[in-house]
Amino acid sequence: MLSFTADYCIAVFISTMGVLQFAFSLGGLKGLLFLKSPLAARAVGLAVGILGFSMFFATGARNINDYEGGLDAPDQALYFSLSAIAAFALTLLLSSLVNYGMRGADSDPDSGIDGLRDSNYATALASSITYWRGNWRTLTKRYFFG
Amino acid sequence: MANPDETLFLWINGFVGAAPIVDAAAELAASDYLAPAILAFALIVVWFAERDAELRVRQQVGALVALSSMGISGLVVFILNMFYFRPRPFVELDVNLLFYEPTDSSFPANSAAAAFGIAFGIWGVNRRIGWFAIGVAGSYGLARVYAGVHYPLDILAGAGIAAMVTFGVFRISRLAMPVLVGVIRCLRVLRLA
Repeated sequence: MLSFTADYCIAVFISTMGVLQFAFSLGGLKGLLFLKSPLAARAVGLAVGILGFSMFFATGARNINDYEGGLDAPDQALYFSLSAIAAFALTLLLSSLVNYGMRGADSDPDSGIDGLRDSNYATALASSITYWRGNWRTLTKRYFFG
Repeated sequence: MANPDETLFLWINGFVGAAPIVDAAAELAASDYLAPAILAFALIVVWFAERDAELRVRQQVGALVALSSMGISGLVVFILNMFYFRPRPFVELDVNLLFYEPTDSSFPANSAAAAFGIAFGIWGVNRRIGWFAIGVAGSYGLARVYAGVHYPLDILAGAGIAAMVTFGVFRISRLAMPVLVGVIRCLRVLRLA
């Protein structure tokens, strides 16, 4: 068995991967899904989300005081955030590879997350950054001052 | 004579041992790790799952409010505990303990304040996920009473603090809306909102 902290980070990482797929499928963000079918992605996402913490609780005693090996609240928040961000980053990377063919040529470069309905993340991010780099003066004024 | 809070605590905690499966479920529900994770995952769903762009911005503002409420509620409890310390039930009474022995103040429950801070924040922008989150936070609180580490009043006080803080943060968020929307628009450039 790994250390308590490592077990917790792995559980959060796995569960976050699942919950993200569940949330993306509800939001219709097909460019971020690993599976073609949103319904399948939702079901698998939910299952993986449950699996992560099931493993955590099934592999050892978890009601432990922080001075006996458990995590205090700040550490818990820190490790949760780091693990969730890692899962999110891996999801963006893997989904960009899996959905390499989704290029959403007609999608609006200023559409934010909505652009991920028909485009993978890498393509959508590149179009957004290119658009902003070319129009940053106008867009900054419009976005934040008007 | 025991006060009503102690009487209610002893009644709830008195069920420990009656059904091992309920005890196991309560140990799980009272854990420091499960309910907070479920509430954090609910925030992820609130952030990404809405298809309508306008409603999504509203929900994303709600997610930021929920996080702020959680932090401020915890801070309020921390400040209150500098002036008032209530011993845990297992220190004063003969209880059936299903949990480790925390050393911080029992009243108000920090765990309940943080959990309800997130739950009420979500409820303010999405009733369906909000009721689910309130259910999770409520089960978390009830399980902690059942497990012998909090009195019922500790949980109610934590929830009350969270309700007041969340209401206040929502009010302030209207004033700070340009900043919050600015944050969301920055994330929008990165295709994250």
